[in-house]
Amino acid sequence: MRIEVDPRRAKALPFAVGWAAVIVLGGVSLGTAFLGIGVWAPIIQFGMSFIQTVIVYVLFMRLKGPPSLKWIFAASGFFWLLFLYGITMTDYSNRRGWPPPSAAAPPVLETPSARAP
Amino acid sequence: MSVTTVERASADEPPETEPSYLTAENTISSWLLTRDHKRIALLFFASITFFFFVGGMAATLMRLNLATPEGLLQPSVYNRMFTMHGIIMVWFFLIPSIPTTFGNFFIPLMIGARDLAFPRVNLGSWYVFNLSGLVVLYSLVMGGADTGWTFYTPLSTSFANGYVFAAAMAVFINGFSSIMTSLNFVVTIHRLRAPGMTWMRLPLFVWGIYSVSVVMLTATPVLTMDTFLLAVERFVGTGLFDPAHGGDVLLWQHMFWFYSHPAVYIMILPAMGVISEIIPCYARRPIFGYAGMVIALMAIAILSFFVWAHHMFVAGISIYSAVFFSLMTFFVAVPSAIKVFNWTVSLHKGSISFDAPMLYALGFVLLFTVGGVTGLMLATLPVDVDVHGTYFVIAHFHYIMVGATVSAYFAALHYWWPKITGRYYPEGWARFSAILTYVGFNFTFFPQFILGYLGMARRSYTYPADWQSWNLLSSAGASILAVAYALPLLYLGWSLIWGRKAGPNPWRATGLEWAIASPPPEHNFERTPTVTLEPYSYDPEHGSFVTQEGRSHAR
Amino acid sequence: MPDSALPRPEIQFATIAQQGDTAELGIWAFLINETIFFGALIFTYFLYRNFYPHEFAVAAKDTVLWCGTLNFLILITSSLTMVLSINAAAQGERKAMILWLVITCALGFAFLLVKGYEYYLDFLHKSVPIVAYEIKPGEGNAGILFWAFYWVATGLHAIHLMAGIGLVLYMLLWRIRRGLITPAYYAPLEVVGIYWSFVDVVWLFLFPCIYLVGRS
Repeated sequence: MRIEVDPRRAKALPFAVGWAAVIVLGGVSLGTAFLGIGVWAPIIQFGMSFIQTVIVYVLFMRLKGPPSLKWIFAASGFFWLLFLYGITMTDYSNRRGWPPPSAAAPPVLETPSARAP
Repeated sequence: MSVTTVERASADEPPETEPSYLTAENTISSWLLTRDHKRIALLFFASITFFFFVGGMAATLMRLNLATPEGLLQPSVYNRMFTMHGIIMVWFFLIPSIPTTFGNFFIPLMIGARDLAFPRVNLGSWYVFNLSGLVVLYSLVMGGADTGWTFYTPLSTSFANGYVFAAAMAVFINGFSSIMTSLNFVVTIHRLRAPGMTWMRLPLFVWGIYSVSVVMLTATPVLTMDTFLLAVERFVGTGLFDPAHGGDVLLWQHMFWFYSHPAVYIMILPAMGVISEIIPCYARRPIFGYAGMVIALMAIAILSFFVWAHHMFVAGISIYSAVFFSLMTFFVAVPSAIKVFNWTVSLHKGSISFDAPMLYALGFVLLFTVGGVTGLMLATLPVDVDVHGTYFVIAHFHYIMVGATVSAYFAALHYWWPKITGRYYPEGWARFSAILTYVGFNFTFFPQFILGYLGMARRSYTYPADWQSWNLLSSAGASILAVAYALPLLYLGWSLIWGRKAGPNPWRATGLEWAIASPPPEHNFERTPTVTLEPYSYDPEHGSFVTQEGRSHAR
Repeated sequence: MPDSALPRPEIQFATIAQQGDTAELGIWAFLINETIFFGALIFTYFLYRNFYPHEFAVAAKDTVLWCGTLNFLILITSSLTMVLSINAAAQGERKAMILWLVITCALGFAFLLVKGYEYYLDFLHKSVPIVAYEIKPGEGNAGILFWAFYWVATGLHAIHLMAGIGLVLYMLLWRIRRGLITPAYYAPLEVVGIYWSFVDVVWLFLFPCIYLVGRS
């Protein structure tokens, strides 16, 4: 009985291109860390992470093909995290006494008298 | 009801081509290495029944202690009792209860499949569950944890003297069992439905299991991470909850309740599914508002993720955050209320039989309503400030978890007993047990609403002497409840040997599970059924019904 | 064109194609759980980094960037070799399938070696909370939160990678050796590949979390 090879599995080139793209995006990410652009650096870096994830998901993890339900499964993990991140921040963003000042305090050094000879 | 249908039903009985799943092979390894979802359901049944009694023993000691203010137990022992009672009842009984037993047994049958999508994952789930059970028993035997089942930091990380690490690891491992089971159900319901079994023709029990599986799959990982971080911090000495280093002790609570609030819906959604099966069958009429019931189940599942910090109103969170959570908690009550209305209306113009499953189901509706309404009281910020940490909260959640869920569990047990075992249970004893459960339950827990309102604190081994009469009443009620829970063990056990044999459809119900022999053959269906109708096609006027495959049965 | 007989599906499936599709759906369902698991951990990271940016920036300076970057390259390459192995399976090229799978496995081990060496360097830099920790000037009391996250996150990631290596070895030594992976049915290998690439994706998020803080 003849089996048809899945056409998306016939060539290596698309995957090599994807591999290169992820590396290039990683390089961009790495570069932004040294530019001194403040809060934009993590925004760009995690943006790169998301784009890299989409490339790996769609290409390497074959999210494109059937069953199409995979898309919903793949997205729902991230979607559910929005609940955790967003709603928890309703507390942290405006709680009195947070963050505690002690976090930035320099550490208390052991006094010499604690170690009597 | 239903006494004469055995003969009539046997006319439709499919020819015996396979031995039943119980007799197919009877070596120990054929049970311990089975891939049959029905046998795995029985394995789970054995495990959770064992833990129900362990958790119940802790409760017995607690209620004996609370019968008098002087008590019975040392305070530190009492603390370990309520902790272990909570941990064991929540993770080792309630959360697995209906999904791993009736879900495992009936989901393939109800959708017309020969097994779940991943039978080995199913068996693996049972082994992981037992592994977590061994760890929690180790923790219990060695002296237990005393932090409360909620493991609040910094008590659990820095100050508690008990087997917190072991208890937390037991919960951590238990989570994997939940995830394996829920994953199996989600994929099975998506992919293995018989031809014609569209989503809107699924029995509501299947929808209940589907919605609970979505919640389990998405909520449990947060608990897994939280308990892992707790274990690391306890083991290493510092971590992400350590206030000495700017960590937030409330972060533990946020992540814990992000899971544990949906967890309480994990405990009720399958129960709601069971009740939606039983009420149509014993009122002999279709459920009112099938689509609304489906939407309500999924709405409860999703909304349950938005309300968790109502457990933290007095913990020190931002007041604006608290208002948000209070509002969301009011919203989540709406779909639950819709379900209660629909169950009630489903009785209208029905031809009702008060058999044991129906008695448990009606008890469920009443007790769930009381629990739900008191939940709304707790959602109200000013009320919660007053009664948080009192017996009012305890009464509220026991009305739901014990009054509702355990009633539904017993309802399911009786309803499906003939299908699982091929035997009838003795109806008289079962009705008596159902009524005794209801009476015992209310005597146990209603006084606790009063005690909570009066100000009695929870998690305390003693209380002011003025409140003894209420406490004594509650403990007396608990003894009645204990009898009511023990009785089914006796008469169901009796029925296994001496019970009257049952045919395929003793209750004249419409689901696919009633189209095959009782007990079912090993591979369920000889040929895959074709579904043409929505469920619950009962006609109360003529006493007839039509199965989901389209076969009519006259009175 | 490859030519092989269709294997029989398990009893709950109508066709072997349904079995394969369902297995794929199953691993994606499992990844929902894994996404939220690591996502919850990364949430704690974002929470604390947001409120202690300076402390985190100082504490994170001691991370070994070359190790992190090398591991990033190793993992994405291993994703590529894994996919090439599955392609070979689809085309019936058994030797190529095995070769790419062995390389994937080797790259996985290489990651663990680099990580192990990095852990040794972290120990020398005194970045191990409680065990060997020194509060660096400027990181205050909260800097240790960064390192608590680092050890938990990279530890869990390494455990997941080891599980992935175990699965690859299981494919090599059990399923492939017994001829169970054929062009007619190679879904088990795809499932392992999806899991493997997910472990890679986790690193794509951990990399900026750990190595790109406080570099400028």
